[in-house]
Amino acid sequence: MDGIVQWFTDFGEKFYDNFIKDARWQYLTDGLKNTLIITFLSIIIGLILGFVIAIIRSTHDKTGKLKILNFFAKIYLTIIRGTPVVVQLLIIYFVIFGSFDIDKLIVAVIAFGLNSAAYVAEIVRSGIMSIDNGQFEAGSSLGLGYMQTMVYIVLPQALKNVLPALANEFIVLLKETSVSGYIAISDLTKGGDIIRSLTYEAFLPLIAVAVIYLVMVMFLSFLVTKLERRLAKNDKR
Amino acid sequence: MINVNNLTKDFNELHVLKNITETIEKGEKVVIVGPSGSGKSTFLRCLNLMERPTSGEIFVDGTDITRLHEKEVNFIRRRMGMVFQHFNLFPHLTIKKNITLAPVKLKLMTEAQADKRAEELLAKVGLSDKANQYPNQLSGGQKQRIAIARSLAMNPEIMLFDEPTSALDPEMVGEVLNLMKELADDGMTMIVVTHEMGFAREVASRVMFMDEGMIVEQNIPAEFFANPKSPRLKEFLSKVL
Repeated sequence: MDGIVQWFTDFGEKFYDNFIKDARWQYLTDGLKNTLIITFLSIIIGLILGFVIAIIRSTHDKTGKLKILNFFAKIYLTIIRGTPVVVQLLIIYFVIFGSFDIDKLIVAVIAFGLNSAAYVAEIVRSGIMSIDNGQFEAGSSLGLGYMQTMVYIVLPQALKNVLPALANEFIVLLKETSVSGYIAISDLTKGGDIIRSLTYEAFLPLIAVAVIYLVMVMFLSFLVTKLERRLAKNDKR
Repeated sequence: MINVNNLTKDFNELHVLKNITETIEKGEKVVIVGPSGSGKSTFLRCLNLMERPTSGEIFVDGTDITRLHEKEVNFIRRRMGMVFQHFNLFPHLTIKKNITLAPVKLKLMTEAQADKRAEELLAKVGLSDKANQYPNQLSGGQKQRIAIARSLAMNPEIMLFDEPTSALDPEMVGEVLNLMKELADDGMTMIVVTHEMGFAREVASRVMFMDEGMIVEQNIPAEFFANPKSPRLKEFLSKVL
């Protein structure tokens, strides 16, 4: 009995030390804010750039045009998908922006955005290629141009097919931003680590960080599942 | 209206069309028949450049369309409707949107004008009640009638039909052929690739027999079916009739 009481007293003290004292919980909330900012802005860059690359690549696959752009897109995809995101982040920060005084958050957004774009591009391309060629033919037989057919007819269908895969890519991205600490950004992970270095107590701050990621990912996964169900319902009609 | 001169089409080593020279006048209803792989679909698809010819010229009202740039080709295609074997309706759009998409996006009509035109066309093909449904909710025959309405929304001068009834259940063939017959009676210029000999006999102003990438024989339907001259056509008719 004494043991249990003792454990709770210790836990309460540790909890106070790690989160309450000197408002240390703010390391986590400020970190979470940065994590969310980086993730959100990276998703936007990833979507825009990813779509452009996907259209270039699939246009080349379908029509044989855009040879040069496709060549560069392929090199881009190979490099991005062939190297770890941490290394890309470090190179962009220390090599490319090494001699510039630039906000680290912007560097992280660029790095994760460029990284995500490569994965988004291949997901969207697979969506475009899954659409029957008859849809392109029907569009052009009506006199619509290639891009009009792409935008009004093919992309809406392709997007619907790959929406769950895209959403999963963004869940992965959320977790990947945890390496932002490598360029001394105080993201969620780094926030927990700072508390650990202050209190010499690893368990509570790191578990807290893990739980916050887990809750966010579970929530997003729940949304994806709901989305998938709704899309499936539309198909039955 | 359409003059085809020495048209050839190769798919790698395969010679699908061999030096086809042909003229199609305004108002004609040309039905093309022939065995599978005879090149009849490819010939039809060359006429609106769905397939790029390997060599030869295709004149539409005097313009050689094989020399046009992609953008100008789109203008030619607006004047030629095409109906496909597998309908190719846009599954993410309602029936009405399927019909209005092209005229609106190409800025030929306002949304309101296109809606009105769509309603007229839906009435014409007898599917007014389906305006707000989606293609997946329709039967094959209904889908093909909508596909025809969608082509007509562009007010084409000529309609190309690529085996429009081949993917249909037998009991739905009639409704599509009847609609095509109505179109023919309205004076539409039509080129139809089909296996429906009854339709050819009844509607065609001219029936063409293609085999091995060439137009082997053609005639008015009565002569075509009663007095085939070439042995290959005789053999073909003996198998299909």
